[in-house]
Amino acid sequence: MITLSGLTKRYGDRTAVDDLSFTVAAGRVTGFVGPNGAGKSTTMRMMVGLTRPDAGEVRYDGVRYTDLQHPAHLVGAVLDARCMHPGRTARNHLRVMAAMSGIPAGRIEQVLAAVGLESAMDQRAGGFSLGMRQRLALAGALLGDPQVLLLDEPSNGLDPDGIRWLRNHLTDFAEQGGTVFVSSHLIGELSLFADDLIVVGAGKLLAAEAVETITTRQAVTVIVETSQPTDLARILAAHDITAETTGDRLVVSGTTKATVSQLAFENGIRIVELTETTQSLEDSLLAMTGASAEFASV
Amino acid sequence: MTTISPTIPSSAILGTTNNRSALRTRKDDLRTIPAALTAESIKLTSLRPNKVIAALTPVIGALIAWALASSSTDKNLTASELFIFPLPLIAMLATVTGILMFTAEAQHGTLAAALTARPTRWVIVTAKATIATLVGIVLGATAMIAGFAGALLGGADLGDDGSAIASRALWALLYTALAAVIGLGVGMIVRHSAGAISGLLMWSFVIESLFAPALPDGLVHFLPFSAGYRLLDAGPNFKAPVTIAHELGRPQYALIFGGYALASLAIGTLLLNRRDTN
Repeated sequence: MITLSGLTKRYGDRTAVDDLSFTVAAGRVTGFVGPNGAGKSTTMRMMVGLTRPDAGEVRYDGVRYTDLQHPAHLVGAVLDARCMHPGRTARNHLRVMAAMSGIPAGRIEQVLAAVGLESAMDQRAGGFSLGMRQRLALAGALLGDPQVLLLDEPSNGLDPDGIRWLRNHLTDFAEQGGTVFVSSHLIGELSLFADDLIVVGAGKLLAAEAVETITTRQAVTVIVETSQPTDLARILAAHDITAETTGDRLVVSGTTKATVSQLAFENGIRIVELTETTQSLEDSLLAMTGASAEFASV
Repeated sequence: MTTISPTIPSSAILGTTNNRSALRTRKDDLRTIPAALTAESIKLTSLRPNKVIAALTPVIGALIAWALASSSTDKNLTASELFIFPLPLIAMLATVTGILMFTAEAQHGTLAAALTARPTRWVIVTAKATIATLVGIVLGATAMIAGFAGALLGGADLGDDGSAIASRALWALLYTALAAVIGLGVGMIVRHSAGAISGLLMWSFVIESLFAPALPDGLVHFLPFSAGYRLLDAGPNFKAPVTIAHELGRPQYALIFGGYALASLAIGTLLLNRRDTN
């Protein structure tokens, strides 16, 4: 289990990470989401000792990362897939990493095969696509057979097949008891395999809960196409249900398709079409982080 | 679906302990130095620019000594003096290699991977400084051997006896080794290849060579590359870039040049500990 307590990082007057506290459970995939500039990468760098926090700490099963005897055997991290010398081959890149952590060289071919880069092991990283670099970076993280994976935007540059492979791999890793903490701006993609979500905005914690909990809270909208929208709106209002009329359509919030259908039938209102839409996880999270987005499009 | 279950047993990957959350001790740090040294040597030998420098060194050494021997009319200029003439240029190559040992890592982000694998930063610095020293020694030795051969091929006489040559060679090796360490230290401070290389070349060739003659002798002694250069005291025919009326002994110059090497490394280490790594 990873525990972050009161983690804070300031750059001059700007607070990049503001008193962040949450836990990341073992055996689950935890997504780390937030808009650009929310402090995700800074947080992840503090989690492996590359950035020093101004306050707070991160512990892995009660031990600080910098106090670990064999960090690579507990935590595998990919914080930037571009972090490799372009003149070094994939094999040599991993040889350096393995030597640094005292890992047998025999493990190199194994992880390269696992990420599908076996045939490119003697090619220089400078000629790799971003997707290949992501795979090589992941191979580096897996070298020490860690129990925790920290991945910052790991699906960047991966093709659809690669994204599916990554998703399956991370799910499999968590099912075997591993801890997966993965940041991504692709909320839709994350919602396919994350068990828990940590949502941050402007460096602050906005939510830390199971994906299931967020999903059950999502708002439902019923769209009704009828020749009597005003009558139906009046009937719904009498039952404290909000409805908004747009032409022949009625947009009803806070109820279900079954309720609207029943009330219309009981009051003799003819319905042409009835559609129920649920707010996506992406919409929910965007609504949550919208106010804190540092860089927003207009 | 591909899985990553290791075919190598965890005990082999983990070494002697299976406790992944074990706490690090000072003894553990010391025990990791050989691993850090291995990693640094792989980094050095797996990049083409370093191989080019290694290949150029004997060529430069032989060519310079051969050219001087074959063009000189001075019969007193012997191979025992000429073999160290290429060393100032080789020391510059050692300095550049030392710089790149750190700046290339900082610029390509591999420093982050190294510090993630080994968060104890002094272990990384110790390994880098050791490898930089070895690089300086190997480049210096290679250039001197090639220089000796080049001078003899150019028609120079053998000159001094073995002990004088050995003494000259040892001081020269100290010069190239310390030059590489200065490069590493400056690289750690500047963290940018072009900035560190151009800054050191400017200092060495422009500031010290052009402006030092205007400085009083007492001050010139303490300029880093002037002091380093004087470790190559090969006799009256060897011309240092700045003439000093009252020269110090080579041990004193070694202390001055070594002091700069240690100071740059110490400042670089301090900054590495204080700065965040991207």
